[in-house]
Amino acid sequence: MAATRRSRRMAADILTYFVLVSMSLFCIGPIAWMFLTSLKLEADIVTQTMQYIPNRITFQNYVAIWTQSSFPVLIGNSFIVTLITVIVCLATGTLAAYAFSRYTFKGRNTLMLGYLVVRMFPAVMMIIPLYVVLRSVGLIDSRIGLALAYTSFLLPLFVWMLKGFFDAAPKELESAARIDGSTRFGAMLWIVIPLARNGLVASSIFVAIAAWNEFLFALMLTTGQGSRTWPVGLQLMVGEFQLPWGVLAAGGILSILPVMLMFALVQRVMVQGLTAGAIKG
Amino acid sequence: MDTGSHLPKTGMIGELSETRYWIYLLLLPSLVIILLVIAYPTIYGMAISFREMRLTRPGLNGWVGFKHYLVMIDDPVFWVALKNTVLWVTFAVVLELGLGFIAATALNRNVPGTGIFAVLILVPYFLPNVVAGHMWALLLDPRLGVINDILVRIGILNSYKAWFADPNTALAATIFVEAWHGFPFFALLLLAGLKGIPQDLYKAAAVDGAGPIAEFRLITVPMLKSVIAAAVILRVISLVNSPDLLLILTGGGPGDATQVLSLYAFQTAYKDFNFGYASALSVVMFVILMVFAYAYIRLSKIGRE
Repeated sequence: MAATRRSRRMAADILTYFVLVSMSLFCIGPIAWMFLTSLKLEADIVTQTMQYIPNRITFQNYVAIWTQSSFPVLIGNSFIVTLITVIVCLATGTLAAYAFSRYTFKGRNTLMLGYLVVRMFPAVMMIIPLYVVLRSVGLIDSRIGLALAYTSFLLPLFVWMLKGFFDAAPKELESAARIDGSTRFGAMLWIVIPLARNGLVASSIFVAIAAWNEFLFALMLTTGQGSRTWPVGLQLMVGEFQLPWGVLAAGGILSILPVMLMFALVQRVMVQGLTAGAIKG
Repeated sequence: MDTGSHLPKTGMIGELSETRYWIYLLLLPSLVIILLVIAYPTIYGMAISFREMRLTRPGLNGWVGFKHYLVMIDDPVFWVALKNTVLWVTFAVVLELGLGFIAATALNRNVPGTGIFAVLILVPYFLPNVVAGHMWALLLDPRLGVINDILVRIGILNSYKAWFADPNTALAATIFVEAWHGFPFFALLLLAGLKGIPQDLYKAAAVDGAGPIAEFRLITVPMLKSVIAAAVILRVISLVNSPDLLLILTGGGPGDATQVLSLYAFQTAYKDFNFGYASALSVVMFVILMVFAYAYIRLSKIGRE
């Protein structure tokens, strides 16, 4: 009896590893292939027989995308748009998340639901009027305009995610500070926010990754070098110049580096926050 | 007010926070932004759908009532796109849910090394659409695609296949790419759901002599119901709304084989600058989505808790 149970457990473990390993390969394999491609000479990519391990390794694709295209400008624009988006979310969303987490007031649930329903609006439905509005106030093709457009769908997400982290922060210290004579604002600023700083970092990074990766709004709302972000730039380069595969792969790898870095930095906290926010939503 | 506190003084804002307006002050900044960049554009967007608005022909302007909606009824592309949207969303969600469930179950067994596997499995979800799209275009390329090469080598295919150019395989190929990109989302949510099931339930079931299949059917599925329902609805919304991947992989082609509503609406706005018709298309899309969401929430009873 014990023996069969142990062997059954063993079989289950083997099956588990089999599933985990094959799924990881399925997830990482394509990215690894893109990385290998970025290290190949174009002649070795366009060959009769597939080279699984590159015969020659070159970094010229990376040099090419960085020096012979507007890629650095695109990356710079993306960086600024992302930064503005995160700052706006942090400044306004933190307050709202705190209010939702700590106070009960009339219309609270409706309002929170409203923040969520907002995400159901089709992007296209938002993009057209945003285009018209931003154009009329001179914010089309501007980094601020694009960042504002991003807050339209990222701010609600930020609020929901951060509320989960505030909910998890113990209320006792806050009450103690209040009894101690602190104002509500003081208690929030000096007690609750420091307690939830992991959540603030995780929610900000989540918003940052989404803004960094965003493609559709950027395609419609940017028209020139002044504000064009890297996803749009890369896409247009493919269309206009018949970008060689190696260079395209190098661009892809370069542009996901910041994402992977941020993800690696906070993956544990973020995974918790993501699940907490999404489940409650 | 600050007299007894050891914390730094907070000045006027501190004073304000003691009044009954405090909650509204906290909510105001985000509300202003949301009203400005969401509510106003949304209402405006709905209004545009009843107007003529083409940036290429500024002379055309003014209210046209339901004209765009009537045109839509006779627009064959609209119906093809509607059909493709249903196919694309249904198959993508089913695939992602299946893969996500397998991944979550495996991760939930907590064998040594689970942490690393969890991170690896999550990576596709954070990959930008633009990169994911071009990466898969390379992997499935009719001349250089490594997947074609592997399939030929192991004897499944006779020759390289142009997955995205063949109307018979284009939609399936894009669904496959989407599943790769989106299944980690389900894995993540379902894993959280699985962790929330009390272990006692399984112990009690084991005492009663329930096998793994009975445990799965009688405990796991019912306990995960609300998580699955929430994950499905969130995913359906984002799948219906975002044409990014299709825009990059196929642009709706070949012909209209991969044309979906969101992409059709976007191209009508981006290529033709026909804002009126594009708005009407997205309003219809939104209404369909709302009706679906309402019916789905009612049927799955997640609204009840």
